[in-house]
Amino acid sequence: MLRIALRAHRTGFLVGAALSFVTMFVETEGFAAAAGQTPAERAAFGAQMQALAPQVAYLIPLPIHPETLAGYVQWRGFGFVYIITCFWALMAATGAIRNEEERGLIEQWLASTVGRLRLMAARSAAFTLAAAGVVVVTALGAFAGAAAADGSLDLGAVLEVSLALLGVTVASFGAGLLAAQLVTTRRGASALGGVVLLALFFLDSLSRVNSGLEGWSRISPFHLYNRTTAVAPGGVFDLPATIALFAAAAIMTVLSAYAFAVRDIGASLVRRRRVTAAAVRTPSANPLLRLPVFSALYEQRWVLLSWAIGTMLLAAFILSLARSTADLIRSNETLRGYLQAGFGTDPNLVLLALFWFGFAAFILAAYAISQVARWAADDAEGRLEMTIAQPVSRARVVLERGFTLAAASSVIAGLGSVVVAAGAPAQDIHPETGRLLLATALLVPLALAFGGLGAAIIARWPRLAVPVLSLVAVAGYLIQQVGPLFRWPSWALDLSVFTLYGTPLTTGVFWTGFWALAAVIVVGFGIGLAAMHYRDVAS
Amino acid sequence: MTGALRTEGLTKDYGQGRGLFDLDLEVAAGEVFGYLGPNGAGKTTTIRLLMDMIRPTRGRAEVFGVDCQAKPVEVKRLVGYMPGELPQFGGFRGREVVSYVAGLRGGVDSGRIVALAERLDLDLGRRFREYSRGNKQKLGLVLALMHEPRLLILDEPTSGLDPLNQQEFHLMVHEARDRGATIFLSSHVLSEVEQICQRVAIIRQGRLVQIARLDELHHIRYHHVEVDFAGQVPADAVRAAAGVEQVSVQGQRLTCVVRGSFSPLLTALERGEVINMVSHEPSLEETFLAYYRDDSAGMLSEAARAS
Repeated sequence: MLRIALRAHRTGFLVGAALSFVTMFVETEGFAAAAGQTPAERAAFGAQMQALAPQVAYLIPLPIHPETLAGYVQWRGFGFVYIITCFWALMAATGAIRNEEERGLIEQWLASTVGRLRLMAARSAAFTLAAAGVVVVTALGAFAGAAAADGSLDLGAVLEVSLALLGVTVASFGAGLLAAQLVTTRRGASALGGVVLLALFFLDSLSRVNSGLEGWSRISPFHLYNRTTAVAPGGVFDLPATIALFAAAAIMTVLSAYAFAVRDIGASLVRRRRVTAAAVRTPSANPLLRLPVFSALYEQRWVLLSWAIGTMLLAAFILSLARSTADLIRSNETLRGYLQAGFGTDPNLVLLALFWFGFAAFILAAYAISQVARWAADDAEGRLEMTIAQPVSRARVVLERGFTLAAASSVIAGLGSVVVAAGAPAQDIHPETGRLLLATALLVPLALAFGGLGAAIIARWPRLAVPVLSLVAVAGYLIQQVGPLFRWPSWALDLSVFTLYGTPLTTGVFWTGFWALAAVIVVGFGIGLAAMHYRDVAS
Repeated sequence: MTGALRTEGLTKDYGQGRGLFDLDLEVAAGEVFGYLGPNGAGKTTTIRLLMDMIRPTRGRAEVFGVDCQAKPVEVKRLVGYMPGELPQFGGFRGREVVSYVAGLRGGVDSGRIVALAERLDLDLGRRFREYSRGNKQKLGLVLALMHEPRLLILDEPTSGLDPLNQQEFHLMVHEARDRGATIFLSSHVLSEVEQICQRVAIIRQGRLVQIARLDELHHIRYHHVEVDFAGQVPADAVRAAAGVEQVSVQGQRLTCVVRGSFSPLLTALERGEVINMVSHEPSLEETFLAYYRDDSAGMLSEAARAS
């Protein structure tokens, strides 16, 4: 059972390890470029970071000696990478329970000689092993980055922080397991677990600026993790907090195992009493269900709403950082690289162009990837077969997917920009309305380009589409965000797919990029159309 | 005879001998046609070829004279299809699934949907994921029948249905036939096919082995018989009886296989004192395997041509 469970975490391990390694390597290796070479430059850099940090303390832990490689790695590397591992842990936990229940695998395991407790123990042990592997790879990323930056890190200190990282990751897995006992679908479990973990994350981060929350923050695993700062000079390894993380993971896993043992398979631990109602015989009168594109949007209405709300919240959040970050860009020689990279001269607009619209482009890419995953699932789960069993051409299926993606992307991008437009004046940022609309509208072709790539890939390799597109998106985003900071050459920056979007808010339409995106859309969906025409469905 | 469905050399070769090979089939309009075969014989592959889900390696298929590969949308206007397994519609309620599929098809009468749901006692207000296997089958039947198609293609339609609903389904098939529809259904349940079909095709290992009217199939059927005697076992008389094979005796118990009429066996049994007798019909798959085990491919083809 353990071997099967390990196999189930294989893809997550590979993706998590790759992302964590790249993140740590890039942050560590880029220290010299960000902080400068001379002691004076680094001291100035450290002072600026220390000045900035209190303004964003409700999001990022306060740095300790950011003018040193070790302090910077602790702050920017280990202070960020846990978000990746904890997200993976949540998805792995909900997938291990609810996804496998939905697919009937749990029933199969239990119908054999595997008991419920053994099943839960095997899944937890397998994830812990996989997480330990990811943590080791993360640490290797830090050492590799340090070596590339002609620096070094203390092995013992990295091990201590790695232990805390493993603790917070398995604690998140435990939270995900627990959430999975309370709702009946993987999507619902991920949402519930995500909300709980997000609340605990903000409980920790807000406690740094609100002393009234300090007591409560101790229940947050992220607070317990951030107490260990061993890599930074003068930092500490909080052994009790780390033990508490593992204890929390163990308690949540035991509670989950108990809940798993007493509940019905396929049901929630807490069952609502079913209201007896007369049987319904009539079809739904909802007109949206009978209209192309609208039926698809209606089907994913709650998911779309979640994306829209999340985007709006992020837009508001990034706007709230606008002034302080703009001040920092003005005052810091290194960060002025963003201005020199051709994004414009007004730091306020640069902030919106690069940070908000850069982030919005990444969000839209992520949404497009989620839609590609949905298309692949339509085929695997038989919905595509049912659709084309009706008098509907295969071409219509592909085109409807594209139009649905365009419509949903427009809604998400539009609502994000509404928040930006409404909140920008309060931050003394005054983007031109026309440019704001243009920048918003141009996000849609970017999403469609990811959709086009996905349509082409799923025709032949449906399981490969999401990992490949995710790699393109994450790598592109990292290149775009850290490239200017580390003064990477222009050819390296051009490797990012997001370069094709340009900076329409400050520099107008980047026509070369626009036509390249258009070509990707046409070729991608063209391949998708051709492949859909010729390939077997449900074979 | 107007052809509702016709295939010529229809082949889907998956390699290593898997798939469907050189299927020549013709189903008349208004006919209820059973498509029989053991698991993995190629029944679903045939149906997916007819529905243009998968593309043939060679050969062609037509529905009411319309080429299934060249004009699939036109074909699907004429067809009501029920797959072997309904897809996952997740959080949709039954009524939303019906509306969604009706929207794809267009021109579906809501009254017809209500009538079908009433008849099958299907609650459309429940979420699809809460449906039992039987209720999913019922929903599949509603989706296949709601637009009163000229041709119904049903892949093992009664698997998962309880006996009462199976009977209701059989009635619905008869009614569809009475209003002029053609029904093509795959099954591995011989008794079901006997109840509703006029002709059957038998497929095995991807090849058509026989097309016949139901009465022509009686010669392939057999029964296992166990007889317990109070005294002497008349083994020689039983062995000599026509249509009786594989006779064996253990103590006071005689077992044998009977093909065709039971009369010769019953006559032979009168020579002894029977205290108990049990007869059972093997599954369709066993029947086919027993019948075709020793046949060469040439003989099978000959049988198919003769039919």
